Amino acid sequence: MAWRLQRFPVAPPAVALAARAGAIVAALLVSSIFLAIAGLNPLVLGAQVINSTFGSDFGLQDLGLLVTPLIFCGLAVAVTQRIGIWNIGAEGQFNMGALFATAAGIFITGPTPVMLVVIFCAGALGGLLWILIPTLARAYADVNELITTLLLNFVAALFVYYVSTGPWRDKASHMLASTFKVPYYVPDLWGTLHWGLIVAIAMAIIMAGILAYTRWGYEVRISGANPHAARYAGIPVRRRIIAVMLLSGAIAGVAGMFEVAGTIHRLQGGISNNFGYVGIMVAVLARGSSIGVIFAGALMAVILNAGIVLQTKGLNTNTVLALTGLILFFTAIGDEFAHYRLVRSRPATSTS
Amino acid sequence: METILAGILSTAILAGGVLALGALGEVMAERVGVVNLGVEGLMAMGAVTGIAVVLAVPNPWVGLLAATLVGMLLSAIFAFATVVLKANQILCGLALTLIGGGLSATLGRPYSSTPAPATFEPVIIPGLSDLPIVGRGIFSQNILIYLIYLVLPLLLYFIMFKTRHGLNLRAVGENPSAADAAGIPVTRIRFLYVTLGGALAGMAGGYLTLAYIPSWSDGVVAGRGWIAVALVIFAGYRPISAVLAALFFGVITALGFVGQARNWPIPAPFLSMLPYLGTIGLMIVPVLAWRKLRRWMAAPDALGEPYYRDVR
Repeated sequence: MAWRLQRFPVAPPAVALAARAGAIVAALLVSSIFLAIAGLNPLVLGAQVINSTFGSDFGLQDLGLLVTPLIFCGLAVAVTQRIGIWNIGAEGQFNMGALFATAAGIFITGPTPVMLVVIFCAGALGGLLWILIPTLARAYADVNELITTLLLNFVAALFVYYVSTGPWRDKASHMLASTFKVPYYVPDLWGTLHWGLIVAIAMAIIMAGILAYTRWGYEVRISGANPHAARYAGIPVRRRIIAVMLLSGAIAGVAGMFEVAGTIHRLQGGISNNFGYVGIMVAVLARGSSIGVIFAGALMAVILNAGIVLQTKGLNTNTVLALTGLILFFTAIGDEFAHYRLVRSRPATSTS
Repeated sequence: METILAGILSTAILAGGVLALGALGEVMAERVGVVNLGVEGLMAMGAVTGIAVVLAVPNPWVGLLAATLVGMLLSAIFAFATVVLKANQILCGLALTLIGGGLSATLGRPYSSTPAPATFEPVIIPGLSDLPIVGRGIFSQNILIYLIYLVLPLLLYFIMFKTRHGLNLRAVGENPSAADAAGIPVTRIRFLYVTLGGALAGMAGGYLTLAYIPSWSDGVVAGRGWIAVALVIFAGYRPISAVLAALFFGVITALGFVGQARNWPIPAPFLSMLPYLGTIGLMIVPVLAWRKLRRWMAAPDALGEPYYRDVR
């Protein structure tokens, strides 16, 4: 009787979860080593991050403000993962959602409750339009959606930069690159934390329900698991792909809308703050589960918050991207390891 | 008119060099069946390394070599994860892009907007540089462009399509189990070419800060790594086509510059969008216009799939 490692096609969820925990620990260890080399004490920094995040109401409110867009962006990526598609353009759809929401807020006037609905729809529309071309190209010409969605991120960032420094620039404000104020505010829930968080959590729960319990959700999951079988069973795979991608873009657009109408109240360059990219990480940590996105979003928000603390130590804001990348890297490796199990092999017989 | 054309050609060749190096590196990785989406991050690390080294040792060749080595080292880590450990290539590639972007921003902070003290200067070739248009466009460039547009693509073409080793490496990308059965070392070949391809991506970053834009700032790579990845698909995974495609994108970039310099009534941000929109257009239009092209553009069969010897 000998023990050996065998690869199984499916990784047990518990092992995959453990692999994620291991990946985060490994990433924190590696970055601690780098910080130590740079002359910063990682333990002191860690204590500062925990203290500034959980030590005060203000820190917790800030955390909530970071969790909100991360849940939306994580959902946007997770829903496409279910059908085997990579939307890594959430960053751009976020920006366009923010831009459309701002346009609605600046140019349309009305009572606040009505206007919030209008702005919400405008944000969703902005994100949806931004993924429209990659969606059609993917569905009808098999063009790699990974690259088209990503390249549009750069275009969207330039667009936001253009309107916030050019035609919509608020010349009364001292900020160089920011638009007029959007005068409709998402109501506050607790301190500066607005209702966007509740909407995000509700949307995650609704998505989970749709994917798990409706015929449409079932067809989406089958199309992702095995497109050939799905087509053979009569599922219109192409239409499901189009619907899922457009939905994904709209969700990322909503994230941008809440950032404008809830948090920043105007459009400015860099408003997307890498939420779209960190959203990929959220979806991967959640293994495509919509409920998992809520928890993964909270976790990544703590890490983004760590980036803000690092910034006060003279490090670049983008340092936190490197940490995110490390977690992603170790998660990918851990996920592969999760497929292996120790099995006891029978002694080889000459007949087999 | 002639000066405009010469100017466009000159800028196009200079700007296309970054994309050409990145695309050639990606061709190497994808031909053996590995998608490396980390090109953007490798370029960023190469770019910051180039400037940091040149500030210490004012010799552009040393800077370029260091950038290449950094690209090689990082992609060796990527290759270890994806080829040896068989982790998901897309995730590892995105991770590499994030790590490269974040780390380069952190490391590059002290050098932000410092001009490179030593760069690759244009070399005027006697006689040829007096020719109209091409004289200024081609024969008055830095020495690297001959390496990028001639030596590397021809060498790669020869190795990939005219030698037995090239047949082997393409077999690894098309059908690794058949290659394995024929005695070709799949893992070794994949590791080697992914690492060498990453070295070229690092070199592209060094070229960016030492020959094209001779200074570093956060976000200087600006999606060039992703455009390079897209060019590989557009070029049908062929080295010479990849370089030509890169040159074409150089022309698009140059047109944007001409527009800004001549005060076209288009705001600068829109001109800056041209390369990205052009890439997306070129990924979509040819496939729609001419369906036969799909076969020419076909990806290696085992692209993106890890190879397990014991799973059948």
